[in-house]
Amino acid sequence: MIEAHGLTKYYGLHLAITDVSFHIKEGEIVAFLGPNAAGKTTTMRILTGYMPPTFGTARVAGFDLADHSLEARRNIGYMPETTSLYTDMRVTQYLRFCGRLRHMGKAQLAERMEYVVERCGLSERANSIIATLSLGFRQRVGLAQAMLHDPPVLILDEPTVGLDPKQIIEVRNLIKGLAGDHTVMLSTHILPEAQMTCERVIIINRGQIVAEGSPEALTAQIREAETLLITVRDDNDIVARQLKDIPQVIGVRRAEQPGGYYVDTAVGTDLRAEIAEFIVGKGWGLLELQPVELSLEDVFLELTTEEKGVA
Amino acid sequence: MSNILTIAGRELRSYFTSPLAYALVVFFLGITALMFTLGFLLQPRAQTDDFRYLIESIVFLALMITPVLTMGLVAQERASGTLELLMTRPVRDWEVVIGKFLAAWGLFAGAVLLSLALPLILEIGGKVDWGMMLTGYLGLLLAGMAFIALGVFASSLTSNQIAAAIIAACLLLFFWLVGWMSYSVSQSLGDVLKHLSVRENYVDFGKGIIDTKSVIYFLSLTFVGLFLSIRNVENRRTI
Repeated sequence: MIEAHGLTKYYGLHLAITDVSFHIKEGEIVAFLGPNAAGKTTTMRILTGYMPPTFGTARVAGFDLADHSLEARRNIGYMPETTSLYTDMRVTQYLRFCGRLRHMGKAQLAERMEYVVERCGLSERANSIIATLSLGFRQRVGLAQAMLHDPPVLILDEPTVGLDPKQIIEVRNLIKGLAGDHTVMLSTHILPEAQMTCERVIIINRGQIVAEGSPEALTAQIREAETLLITVRDDNDIVARQLKDIPQVIGVRRAEQPGGYYVDTAVGTDLRAEIAEFIVGKGWGLLELQPVELSLEDVFLELTTEEKGVA
Repeated sequence: MSNILTIAGRELRSYFTSPLAYALVVFFLGITALMFTLGFLLQPRAQTDDFRYLIESIVFLALMITPVLTMGLVAQERASGTLELLMTRPVRDWEVVIGKFLAAWGLFAGAVLLSLALPLILEIGGKVDWGMMLTGYLGLLLAGMAFIALGVFASSLTSNQIAAAIIAACLLLFFWLVGWMSYSVSQSLGDVLKHLSVRENYVDFGKGIIDTKSVIYFLSLTFVGLFLSIRNVENRRTI
């Protein structure tokens, strides 16, 4: 449904994205994840037909964005990063304006307006002038205009920025509810959001795609060792050295809490029983022992951070 | 076509949600009425022929209000980011530019038509040469088209409204004053400059003459202004 082939964009001499390629299938919800200024918005602006790439091609809903830009744009609902709306209009006025530009019939427009106003939680503010709305409500108007014409493809740039926690959950559920009938590409720099709402994640950093796959696949891919977190009561200098001598233990690192250690063991091993027995045998007082799951956050940091510990 | 009307309609409505449109229309009508009163109503020996001096002043008045009328059209959308959302909808760049141009020109034409009340008042106490009067107004509407197209162009150059207004004012004053330069240069160059001048091209309308050359002049200025605006809107970089 969304295909990008070798997208490259220069702003003057500044290279914003390099050779960005990916494929999003019909009905998929995909997160476009990356730190700020990684090239997310640039890629989305190209995919929505706002600006052409310097090199590369893109197709949305089967239409090439260079040759059939209008047809491609008809199939897209876009919510830009900064929800810039005509602040002098009322919500319903604005949505009607959007519907007219989409050549929606009167009856269809009325029906869809009612639907998106309700789904986006705008009912009580439908007649307000947009300038008087809070940021959260403006975001919802942005989402409402993107969904208004029931487009097969939705491209949402940071859809939950500026919302309060309750609204964030509502919007995420709303997006999840779109799966199946709609192809959704949303950008975010919030990891749990990607993990919760999306089946697949594309990670972009410094203008290049660095990883792609389901959250589970990505964490497995980056995993170099099984890690256990242990805490002992009687911490002393020899604990780390002695733990390292256990067969199949690759490394031991100090954890944040007093007496805590991360024990890395070879991939595919489970040394919980052996280590517990060992510590009990030494009489150090085992307080805690648990496997550490790699989160998408770790993957993200691993892939996008050069200097560990800075972020 | 429906896209153009949708965009023009939104733009026109937006004019009236701020005090700007009211201020401009009141200013335009107020000064026009003042000039009419001083030049005709209070002059017992006024001739219909004097009308051309008056309408020339009205053209200059139109030139003065144009930068304020057009400054926000593209620049404001660039500054607030609404241009991005507009351009990702299935509308063509030229539809956006033409729509905005029509909104500004529509407002201008509305003000000009309202000012027709003044010659109607004149009709009560005297005789108005309507042929000449309406030709003058036709020229005014044509000149307004060219001014506004240049104003849209200035607005499409920047995301700063004040800068857009200043650029528009400079451009328009250039086309107003360029005729004066013709006296201080060689004959042949002077002729060229005269043909470029808004004033020189307007003079005949005030006398009640519709000169094809002048009509083409205003229409081509409009075309060039709009063409360059469309090129600028195609350039998506935030300026």
